[in-house]
Amino acid sequence: MSSAVETRDKGVARFRTRLFTAMMIVVATLTALGFYLAQRKVTADAERNLQQIFQNELSSLHKLEELRHAALADRCNALAAKSRIHAAIEDNAIDLLYPSAKDELRDLMEGEEPPPAQAAQWLHAKFYRFLDGAGAVIKPLNPYDVGELNGDTEAQLALSELPDKQQIGYVLENTQAGDRAIDEVIAVPIFSTDTGEVISALVIGFKPLELEDKHTGMKSGIWTNGHLHLPALPAASTLNQKVADALAKSDQDENYFRVDAGGAPQLLFYKRLNPGSLFLPAYEICVYPLSYSLEELRRLRWQVSGAGALLLLGGFIASHLIALRFSAPVKKLALDSEENRAKRRRAEAALASTAQELERSTRYSADASHQLKSPVTVLRVGLESLIEREGFKPEIYEELSVLLHQTHRLTGVIEDLLLLSQLDAGHLQIASTPVNLSQLVDEWLDDLGALPDSPDVKIEKEFPPALFVAGEKRYTSLVVQNLLENARKYNRPGGRIRVSACVNGSGVVLTVGNTGCVIAPGENIFERFHHSSTPSAASGHGIGLNLARELARLHGGDLRLVRSENDWTEFEVRFSAANGVNPVA
Amino acid sequence: MRLRGLLWLNAISSVLPAALLGSATVEGRVELPKSRSAPVQAKRYEIVTKGGVLSTQPPLAVVYLDGAFPRPASLPTKEVTQKDLTFIPALLPIEAGTKVEFPNLDDTYHNIFSYSPAKRFDLGRYRPEERPIPSVIFDKPGLVTLRCDIHEHMRGLILVLNTPYFVMTDTAGRFRLDKLPPGHYTLKAWIDSRTTKEKAVDVKNGQTLHVDFP
Repeated sequence: MSSAVETRDKGVARFRTRLFTAMMIVVATLTALGFYLAQRKVTADAERNLQQIFQNELSSLHKLEELRHAALADRCNALAAKSRIHAAIEDNAIDLLYPSAKDELRDLMEGEEPPPAQAAQWLHAKFYRFLDGAGAVIKPLNPYDVGELNGDTEAQLALSELPDKQQIGYVLENTQAGDRAIDEVIAVPIFSTDTGEVISALVIGFKPLELEDKHTGMKSGIWTNGHLHLPALPAASTLNQKVADALAKSDQDENYFRVDAGGAPQLLFYKRLNPGSLFLPAYEICVYPLSYSLEELRRLRWQVSGAGALLLLGGFIASHLIALRFSAPVKKLALDSEENRAKRRRAEAALASTAQELERSTRYSADASHQLKSPVTVLRVGLESLIEREGFKPEIYEELSVLLHQTHRLTGVIEDLLLLSQLDAGHLQIASTPVNLSQLVDEWLDDLGALPDSPDVKIEKEFPPALFVAGEKRYTSLVVQNLLENARKYNRPGGRIRVSACVNGSGVVLTVGNTGCVIAPGENIFERFHHSSTPSAASGHGIGLNLARELARLHGGDLRLVRSENDWTEFEVRFSAANGVNPVA
Repeated sequence: MRLRGLLWLNAISSVLPAALLGSATVEGRVELPKSRSAPVQAKRYEIVTKGGVLSTQPPLAVVYLDGAFPRPASLPTKEVTQKDLTFIPALLPIEAGTKVEFPNLDDTYHNIFSYSPAKRFDLGRYRPEERPIPSVIFDKPGLVTLRCDIHEHMRGLILVLNTPYFVMTDTAGRFRLDKLPPGHYTLKAWIDSRTTKEKAVDVKNGQTLHVDFP
């Protein structure tokens, strides 16, 4: 029993472990999923934020540049209206162009370099040049006045044709110090006041406006003509190639991608600064370190992991509790089923032994009956042969006759017992046919009257001449015989027997009443081998009524004592009526 | 003023060498571009620019006898006035070496200058009462565009020629050059800053040659 408990406990523990494992898997999956989604969101948010910042900064830069451009356009329109500029260009006095413009543009070149915040408003130029009708740079006689440039830089100012609107460009300048600088140049067309045609263009060079950023650690530069100018970033030369590749691959004016610069991940944005310009394409390059978002990501990772751990812990506790709750009924179930199994085993054992006993007793009855039958037959045959002999005294014949009668009785008892044992074993099969009960009763009444020791009793009959019941004639006859014999046997001299039968519903009821001593109340006369408590001259072997009732029941009917009082005992037996044979009552 | 001009003319004719005093005459007609606007009755005309080409409006031509003529010792001074913010005359043909005065007849400053290759000068700002009257000697043949630094729209032309024999056509293009010395020359007709037509002519004493520039 203890091993069974152990097994049961193990089962419960296994169930709990499985439940917990399943919950852990669910929690771990949820945590991983949450982390994955969070990471994606953080990355996307960081990129979107940086993109937004980049766009905002660029748009503020563009606003400043628009101010500068508007101011320049005004300046150039005013310049174009000047007679000397016209004279110099139209009268082929190119050499006088710069001197003529000098006074007009003097303030562009003079003064200190403005602070970066006001660079856009101040219009502080580094240099300016005029373009001739073919778009080539008109060389100044005195470069000092208009900003000195080396030949390479000056050549970059030339355009393939004169523009009819402002053009923005960026040129690389090799400074005297040996490093590179980028200049923003704006070409403004000069229209003839006479003809409205473009007669020249003024190209003005500025120090580029710089993006300002105080929060993200962004570094900005400009990419043009295959060179990235990003002095704030030491690894700019490696970025240069990446930007060039990205631009070669895509014809988009703006985009962004991830780069590794200085061993740290960065997000590099680029956007064309001069879309549609006659100058070489130039791009604003902004490199944002991702350290900020990485840190956020790390923080979030901890948060998610913490939440996952908490969830797991909660899940553990919950699963433990749930397992306990779930396993309690399971445990109870296991216990109950254990008890049930034991009970069943016991019941089965009892049933088996009962069946065995029953079988044994049935077999015993059958065997005994068979064993008894043969010597009784031998005895009876012997007695019959003795009676047939001559030469004995008459008393001996009388004695022999009594003995022979007893052997007949004995045979009847044995047959009854055999029948009962068959009934008990359930082996008795009946072949149901219509049996004429009236005829059967008449025959038995005739037989009773023919018996030598029949007392003087009056027989009353009350039944129709043909009343059919469903059953096997043999057994129906036995029932009728039993009742009639009892009615004669327990009658008193001068008494009477009353036999009546009628159809009652779906059955036929036969009532046999007789005068004589009554049966004491509470006496179980249907018990097998019953013997009356009141001494009587007549006595049976105690199985007749029992057998009769068993047979009546086998036929779907019953046998009962209706009454037994005041010198009148009445039995009633019910049979099933044979279908469609009896007259309707 | 007109009186002074006539006096000058008399002086020139008296100075001219007798050998050069010819009696030949060339006359004819220059086919002028169609005027866009209705013909102006007044003698006034202006300089217009179309596609970078300067011409008079209504169209006029200057016809002159090109050749190597000895430079006279002195030439009469010519005058281009600024009146109502325009140059008068708007087109002035002169012989090289002529001194041109630019009197300011307006109540405002003018600043006459030229960036033309034939003559670069800048008279600076001056008021009407400026004395002596600012003047320039044009010693190189060619077209000089006059401008005012203050009044951008003002345009004037001085056609500096290498010859004393020149005349402006009327608005119909008719011209007559007389007292020409005999000889073989090229007769030219300046129509605008880009267009000068020419024809070879044989000028003989006492003859009147008829030349048309179609």
